[in-house]
Amino acid sequence: MSENLAGRSVTPTTSDGGDGQQTAVTAPTAEAGPPAQVGIEQRDFHLLAWLADRGIIVFTLALVLLAAAFVDGFASVDNITDVFNRAAPIGIVAVGMTFVVISANYLDLSVVAQVATAAVVLIGISNETNIPLAMLLALGIALVYGVVNGVAVGVFKANAVIVTLATTFMGLGILRWASGGSIYFGPEDSLIRSFGTTEIGPFPLSMIALIVIAIALHLVLTRTTFGFMVKSYGSNREATRLAGVNISLVVIGAFILSALGAMIGGFVLAAFSNTAVSAMSDGFDFEALAAIIVGGTSVFGGRGSVLRTLLGVVFVSVLTNIMVLSGLGFGYQQMAIGALIVVAVSVDALARRAAGI
Amino acid sequence: MSDDQGLVLTSQRTDLIGRLRTTLARRTEGRALALLVVVAIGAWITEPVVFTSYDVTLGRIALIGLVALGLTAVILMGELDLSVASTLAVAGVVMASIDNLAIGILAALVVGLVIGAANAFFVVVVGINSFIATLGMLFFLRGLGFVLSDEQPVRLSNIEAGISFGKPLIGDFTPRMLIFIATFIAMQIFMTRVRVGREFYAVGGNRQAAYDAGIPVRRRIFTGFMISGIVAAGAGAINTLERTAADPTAGSTVLLSSFAAAIIGGILLTGGRGSVFGTLLGATSLGILQVALTLSAVQVDVQNIIIGFVLFVAVITDPNSLRAVVGSARSYLRARTAPQPQS
Amino acid sequence: MTGEPRTTRFRLFGLALLVLGALVLAACGDDDDDTAASDGGADSEAGDDSGAAEGGGDFDVFALLPQGNDQPYGTTYLPPMEAMADELGINLTITNSQYDADKQASECETAVAAEPDLIILWPAVGDTVRPCLEAAKDAGIPVTVTNSDVNPEDQDLTEAYSGPDTYGQGVASGELMCELAGGDEIGIIMINGLTGNSTAIDREAGFEDTINEQCPNVTILARQPGNWNKDESQIAASEMITAVGAENIQGVYAADDTMVAGAIDALKARDIDPSELIITSIGNTFLGNPLVVSGELDGTVFQSSSWDGEHAVTVAYEVLTNDPDERLVEFMPSVKVTADNADDPSVAPEW
Repeated sequence: MSENLAGRSVTPTTSDGGDGQQTAVTAPTAEAGPPAQVGIEQRDFHLLAWLADRGIIVFTLALVLLAAAFVDGFASVDNITDVFNRAAPIGIVAVGMTFVVISANYLDLSVVAQVATAAVVLIGISNETNIPLAMLLALGIALVYGVVNGVAVGVFKANAVIVTLATTFMGLGILRWASGGSIYFGPEDSLIRSFGTTEIGPFPLSMIALIVIAIALHLVLTRTTFGFMVKSYGSNREATRLAGVNISLVVIGAFILSALGAMIGGFVLAAFSNTAVSAMSDGFDFEALAAIIVGGTSVFGGRGSVLRTLLGVVFVSVLTNIMVLSGLGFGYQQMAIGALIVVAVSVDALARRAAGI
Repeated sequence: MSDDQGLVLTSQRTDLIGRLRTTLARRTEGRALALLVVVAIGAWITEPVVFTSYDVTLGRIALIGLVALGLTAVILMGELDLSVASTLAVAGVVMASIDNLAIGILAALVVGLVIGAANAFFVVVVGINSFIATLGMLFFLRGLGFVLSDEQPVRLSNIEAGISFGKPLIGDFTPRMLIFIATFIAMQIFMTRVRVGREFYAVGGNRQAAYDAGIPVRRRIFTGFMISGIVAAGAGAINTLERTAADPTAGSTVLLSSFAAAIIGGILLTGGRGSVFGTLLGATSLGILQVALTLSAVQVDVQNIIIGFVLFVAVITDPNSLRAVVGSARSYLRARTAPQPQS
Repeated sequence: MTGEPRTTRFRLFGLALLVLGALVLAACGDDDDDTAASDGGADSEAGDDSGAAEGGGDFDVFALLPQGNDQPYGTTYLPPMEAMADELGINLTITNSQYDADKQASECETAVAAEPDLIILWPAVGDTVRPCLEAAKDAGIPVTVTNSDVNPEDQDLTEAYSGPDTYGQGVASGELMCELAGGDEIGIIMINGLTGNSTAIDREAGFEDTINEQCPNVTILARQPGNWNKDESQIAASEMITAVGAENIQGVYAADDTMVAGAIDALKARDIDPSELIITSIGNTFLGNPLVVSGELDGTVFQSSSWDGEHAVTVAYEVLTNDPDERLVEFMPSVKVTADNADDPSVAPEW
């Protein structure tokens, strides 16, 4: 058995974290091959199965429509911009991290350190030198994160949660030791600033960046050999290895994509506020994962998509937006997100079981 | 460390050392023990206060270790419980909100049991992954803590009781340390001597086989999560008593340090391997390390770099990790030297 | 505007190299079987470093702080504190509990065990420090408090307090708001600090109590946390504007300058001129001061991190050398900064 938590999903015993009985039923999903939808289309149409697969689309649409009907001010251009401003930085982080999740490695906790580092480097270094140099430096750091996490998980087969927890400790420690907790802020007339303040219709540039990146990563996941291997590795790593795939490279690639997403997320976050401080990305790790899970990507790996993550991010942002508009405090917002995660995944699990897939 | 080499080099050693090494290789606590020895010697030389005031060090170990002990029961079954930190905070808030101390403590423990049972319900009955179920619970309970406390610390009505609770009870030992030691002994006995506890290993090692062997897997998972929940809630109650107030933001450093203690202690996250004793070793190493670093005025950022490094090294020097590296290096070399079987 | 200290250039490049170096090192470290030894080396090395840096002092003092180089304020609080300690021959050992009350309690136990001449305490959570104070008293170690005072009933266990009056800062910002509103019926939105954080709680209470007492004509229409971040504050402010309607808002209060800058950006993004609204905050930082000068921020309350850090040590020194009978209290003056005095060198921003 593999060392990785999610490696258990390979064996027919535990793929749904529950006990043997139910999971023996769900196991074939993982082996149905990368496009999980194929398995469904081959069966008779089943409402629950259809819902289980497309739940996030239905729920997002329903939430948006309900909000537009019942929440004052929701359906205004300014407010849609706010939703997008909420969604963009965390979304860019989440679409990158989706690859780590699909490769059955749970999540990349170190995005917290990565986002803050990219933001501080972008503003801090560009103040001293210029923007391209700052971005290049941030890119170098992102690659180091991706490779270190990837090698530890892919080559050493160490658990991703702990590896990325360790790199978070080290990365944040190094960032704070070197930069202090100072707030770095850029000049008002910089290119970074104008990126952060430009809007096209209700779309801030950061949201357009998120959509472009999501589509690009979607193509990487669905149209390239690498994407196929990530999915196949996530659903059955032993079979993938036996098929002659260099699985270490697949994992390293997934972590590099996650690191690049975190880097761009950091850039966007810094551009939005034109400030950078080492504490600005607290909570990004679990918030990004929450969006991925709500989108319907499975933490067992193998099943999921980047566009789902995009929807998940929009859903969570709309929900938070509605609660703020309704004047509900931070405690209620957290409770709602927690309940949402459990409900979304429960509905998915129950519907799949009822549909017999 | 030695246990890793033991796998490769046994044949060259004398019989006694060879046997010793085989034993070490089978045990999961080897690296934690080595770390503990090094940390202890380092601390002894640089900051002897760590040992002369052992009660302080023990207090820190108990702070890190108590939650980790409960977590061990869950991890050994191959599940995760991310909700422990919020459980700790919510239990504290509930306890401080009740005027009668005894009822408050009881309520806190019940809250822990209920949270554990809810986690297990989602994992076992609904069938969702424990990582997600407890992640949702982490958010939910953190929010609940804020809502119940009106986003402010809640003071105990009986502050004097709290202050005397923080004082030594027997010798230099405060109730926290005694509870920690008692919990360790209880967990150790439960996991090694009681059948139910030993079955946790079977559930974590090979769930299907555990099923086939007639072990009530679902009930064991319920038990595990409830142990984790009640221990975290107990830690919340102890913290609240000792501080005389419940802080809804409590536990911010608990989740990560208790996981770190378990991992450094050699518990395999896939379940089935590890021991309560290992967790104790991990928590002890971390506790001594933190107290020594605090005494020598090392910045918290640098402390985090050091702890992160220890954790990183601990997880990639797992015997299985090293085997994986050796294995892939071998297959790489073989692929290079032997003719390629196919494209 | 970009009032970055000069040292940041060096440190940022150092940071980049270190991130690269340390992570590569960590990656290579796995070949080294003797992991624990290398860690122990780092441990003792770090100990030696600080030992050398401390130098010989006349007094040993523990400073239990909840922040340090991980927060903007702490980053500029520490250097003046350490400089003053050197000057007065005080040997400082500084901890950072990152606002975790349990961690600070454990650090307090550690400090008491080390038997220093005095403990300087900046409470992580004010309600939770009494056991620490009693333990220090039992050990005969005097305690002085910095930055946020302990509860009134715990004050007799401490020898001194120096720092801002956190509640008073909220009061001062509220007074500014009342003055500027001048009796008009206005509605404002409120952006608070990190949920559950004691500074955030005290400032909110100070501001709200003042509004209620001195100018009930000012109504708080909505409130959300901005978590001390500019980006979160900007989005929350924008959403509150949507919720209550831009036409109903004549004022904004934010618990610090970073967050008020976010709120001002939110107004600008909707083509609302911030100078037409009454906006007050707390801090007078590098980010806030230029906003006061430009007239977008109407008033803020100066909080000097260097005053805070220095007085933590001078008050402690006073207690150590003179052992005053009364509890020493030195409040940082809550200087209100408006366009009239924003250029004054005495309120030059520090963080």
